[in-house]
Amino acid sequence: MQYDDKIPIYYQIKNFIYREIIVGNLKLGEQLPAVRQLAVDLTVNVNTIQRALSELIAEKVIESKRGKGNFVTEDETKIDDLRRRLIDEYLSDAYNNLHQLNVSDQEIIEYLNQYIEDRRKKKS
Amino acid sequence: MTNAIEIANLSYSKNLKKILENVNLTIQQGKIVGLLGANGAGKTTLMRLIAGVAKGSKGKITVDNQQKITAKKSRVSFSEQLNGFNPNIKIEKIISFYQDVYPDFSTDKYNEMAGFLQIDEGLKLSALSKGMREKLIIGLTLSRETQVYLLDEPFGGIDSMTRKKIIDSIIKWKSDDAVILVSDHYVSEIASILDEIVIIKDKTVYAQKSTEEIREKYREGIEEYYENAYREE
Repeated sequence: MQYDDKIPIYYQIKNFIYREIIVGNLKLGEQLPAVRQLAVDLTVNVNTIQRALSELIAEKVIESKRGKGNFVTEDETKIDDLRRRLIDEYLSDAYNNLHQLNVSDQEIIEYLNQYIEDRRKKKS
Repeated sequence: MTNAIEIANLSYSKNLKKILENVNLTIQQGKIVGLLGANGAGKTTLMRLIAGVAKGSKGKITVDNQQKITAKKSRVSFSEQLNGFNPNIKIEKIISFYQDVYPDFSTDKYNEMAGFLQIDEGLKLSALSKGMREKLIIGLTLSRETQVYLLDEPFGGIDSMTRKKIIDSIIKWKSDDAVILVSDHYVSEIASILDEIVIIKDKTVYAQKSTEEIREKYREGIEEYYENAYREE
């Protein structure tokens, strides 16, 4: 995994795990690899993995079962909320950037539609 | 948390030349710490003093609550450059030397690591490439079951695949309480595994900072922070 060295690594790992859950690479109720294995897979310090996991556990996205390990939540609404939260985050970045260029709300919608159309054409 | 290394008012001169002056440094148990500084800044000297290999310093160095040199030696595993061995010696002989000299050398741990790093014990020391030799040094150093590991520039002049293997083995085989101090003059490639960096400049500790704090508080990359530290006068 490539890291942005200006952003705390634990934060990037949280985002990585969010994405893995949202796209279904990690399923509801699935067990996560052991902490050290995650550290090796993601080339980071064990302490950093632990920090990311403890926040995910506090957010109830991950559930820690004593003596068994860490599991993805089985609560589907949690994942829906998470997905919605990330979508809002990405939209808010784009929205703020465009507003700084004095692009109006109406124009944003038009540009977005245009952009989606262009991307579709490129694909086909 | 307990401190693995405590250094107070450490000064060291060699041939009337001051190398380190008034160094104060505390490293907590369990951390992976990058020791950074330009060539000749005194990184190796500091490691040799912690390991008890270099003598004649002023001040106090405590390792795992021990101050006696013999006690320190048994608690610190320092990456020896293997220059004391005859170039024609076979790797397996070096391993038995380590088994004899260090009671805490774990042959099981070594074998696991040697398999992972693909070290061929049948070869002669002189037949090893730079990367192979560095992997052997890492394997030998980390195979001792101890509290403090000092890795002196393990990434100098090796290819990226070997570097990745060495980094992976550090993550895989470091016990939770152990401290690893790894020196380098270039930090980008190891930044993701470091808890802290210690910058040596002007013969002393210029800064000691948590890597996540550098990213979070200063919104800076570790390499950038380090470069700025050297630029400021």
